[in-house]
Amino acid sequence: MNLRVISANLVVKLLSFYREKTTMFFTFAFPIILILVFGTIFMSQDNVEYRLCVQDLDQTKASAEAVENLEVNGKFKITRVDPAADAVQYVRDSRVNLVLVIPKGLEKSLQRRKLFNDYQATVTISYIYDPSSSSVATKMDILNAVLAGINQEMAGVPPFIKSSSKSILTRKYRFIEFFVPGIIAMSVMTLSLFGTVDSDTELQQKGVIRKLSTTPITRSDWILSNILYQFILALISTVTMLLVSYAVFDVSLHINAWLIAFILLDVFAFVGIGMLLTRYVKEAQSAAAATNAISYPMMFLSGSFFPIELMPGFLQKFARALPLFYVNEGLRAAMVFEDNMTALRYAAIIGVFATVVFILGILATKWEENS
Amino acid sequence: MNTETEYAIEVDGLTKRYGDLLAVNDISFTVKKGEVFAFLGPNGAGKTTTVEIIETIRTPTSGKVILLGMDVTKKKRDIVQRIGVLPQGFSSFDRITVRETIQYYSRLFSVHSDIDGLIELVNLRDKANEQYKNLAGGLQQRLGIAIALVNDPEVVFLDEPTTGLDPRARREVWEVLQGLKEKGKTVFLTTHYMEEAELLADRVAIISRGKIIAMGSPRELIADNANYQVLTLQSVDDQVFEIVRKTGFEPSLDDHKNIRVRVEQTDHVLQILNAIKAAGASYLGLDVRKPNLEEVFLKLTGEALQENPADRETK
Repeated sequence: MNLRVISANLVVKLLSFYREKTTMFFTFAFPIILILVFGTIFMSQDNVEYRLCVQDLDQTKASAEAVENLEVNGKFKITRVDPAADAVQYVRDSRVNLVLVIPKGLEKSLQRRKLFNDYQATVTISYIYDPSSSSVATKMDILNAVLAGINQEMAGVPPFIKSSSKSILTRKYRFIEFFVPGIIAMSVMTLSLFGTVDSDTELQQKGVIRKLSTTPITRSDWILSNILYQFILALISTVTMLLVSYAVFDVSLHINAWLIAFILLDVFAFVGIGMLLTRYVKEAQSAAAATNAISYPMMFLSGSFFPIELMPGFLQKFARALPLFYVNEGLRAAMVFEDNMTALRYAAIIGVFATVVFILGILATKWEENS
Repeated sequence: MNTETEYAIEVDGLTKRYGDLLAVNDISFTVKKGEVFAFLGPNGAGKTTTVEIIETIRTPTSGKVILLGMDVTKKKRDIVQRIGVLPQGFSSFDRITVRETIQYYSRLFSVHSDIDGLIELVNLRDKANEQYKNLAGGLQQRLGIAIALVNDPEVVFLDEPTTGLDPRARREVWEVLQGLKEKGKTVFLTTHYMEEAELLADRVAIISRGKIIAMGSPRELIADNANYQVLTLQSVDDQVFEIVRKTGFEPSLDDHKNIRVRVEQTDHVLQILNAIKAAGASYLGLDVRKPNLEEVFLKLTGEALQENPADRETK
């Protein structure tokens, strides 16, 4: 190992990156854009207010109270539909996904039930809805819960089963705090994988590697300088992402040694995969395709963007076979939950993986053209 | 064991096979220290394979190659410190300047090169702070030569240093190479340009289909293999070709539609000119000269040395 050679290589790589302004911009800007977009979408997730159209055919004091009740307990923003309108047509024409219809006779039935204890007196509230809309099911669940509450209250007996909830966390974490570690893991992967494959195939194709093989630089000097280069870029990118997350979303993430450890393991694992790809894929175009084929499943299936529990069972099993899953979850354990044991377990798994692929990558990297 | 001999390179029975293809077929030659040695042959003849085996980039199938007294298959680390290489189709880091590139390579060799001296030597002073991607083809090649010299090598390998360059850029590279010759460096040059070999080389090996078919100084090769002169008739009538043929010679047309005829005696020139005059045909100019390596190659192999003219376009 020759430090002079490694530093010379590192300087050339960093200078090339710095002078390639477009690449530099997208390298750092892409994850920040993701954080800003997703962070904004999910920032007010806990304060969602649904729009609800209500057609009150009863037009009485009781029906007006019922609508008010929905507004308060169901967190709905109510739009009142003209009683003379055809509700089905209204859903179609107004492009709304649900109209709740309060039938005529609500107040009368209510009085019969309350004053005369006539248990035969009931009303049927109708949902006119568009099943193709994704938020309809949620709205109907909320409405059913509100209606069940009203029925329970009118029954006049206290409920038998009550529920209480207690979080295992001292503080409820927000989506953005789940999201940022995932984006850090993903962008370090992308940097290392694409950085290694793109630069090595380009240099190989242009014949620069052939020239280098007639100089004293060794394969290990070359690989080590690449690792250092990728690590520096990963650190700059992570710091930028964290600064934006703190500044814009006031996230509460713990910065500790695990962060550095996981970034380093992420870099080793994906530089290793990159070196293996470079060995077997010679053309720049097929290199890009092969890199995408590896990075896309990692990006979308390993839980960088959303918890893998949302996926079907077989995909969850697949996710657990992806190395990025362990970086995602390890980073979350360390940065969100401060769970050192989980972080250690995942670091060990990704550590073993990184060691194996990195050694294979070193063995696969060839300087002499013996073919 | 490093044995000091008068030879910089000793190649004995070198063979390289790629599957069924025999790229280099049992060749042997030596290159003396301080000599400019050219490997001349068409594309695909085995030049680059041979030179890359000597440079330690490739391994031979069989045979022995000794470079500066060391076996190339065993002493790569020692050898690379003492040689300089301009590989075929040389390229460098796009965004790195001329000066930074030379600095980078000198750091790889852990030497303190005279960066300004090298820039001066290859005449790139005005372009020292220009990024590689902005240099024209000839300037890129000159940078490649400067890089090949950062470690003050004893043997310099230049693989097709002027391929793809326009005539002016080629001449500029030749000037740099002549400077190396004057410095007394051992230079191993591969080329398919006969004028390059003729101008620069002390000795030339002609290689065709993996075999060395002739070796010697350009003058010796021409004297041994082309004991005739070449008459060239310019801007001729269509009928002149037929007249020359009927006179008993074998005319051929060159790229510019000029007629070329091999003549062994000066009398033959007069005989041809008289025949044309007698037939009332005309030509605009004529030239009688000694043959060159191109013709030597044609005679020895029956194939043309120059590649597709499109290959010679400016980069």
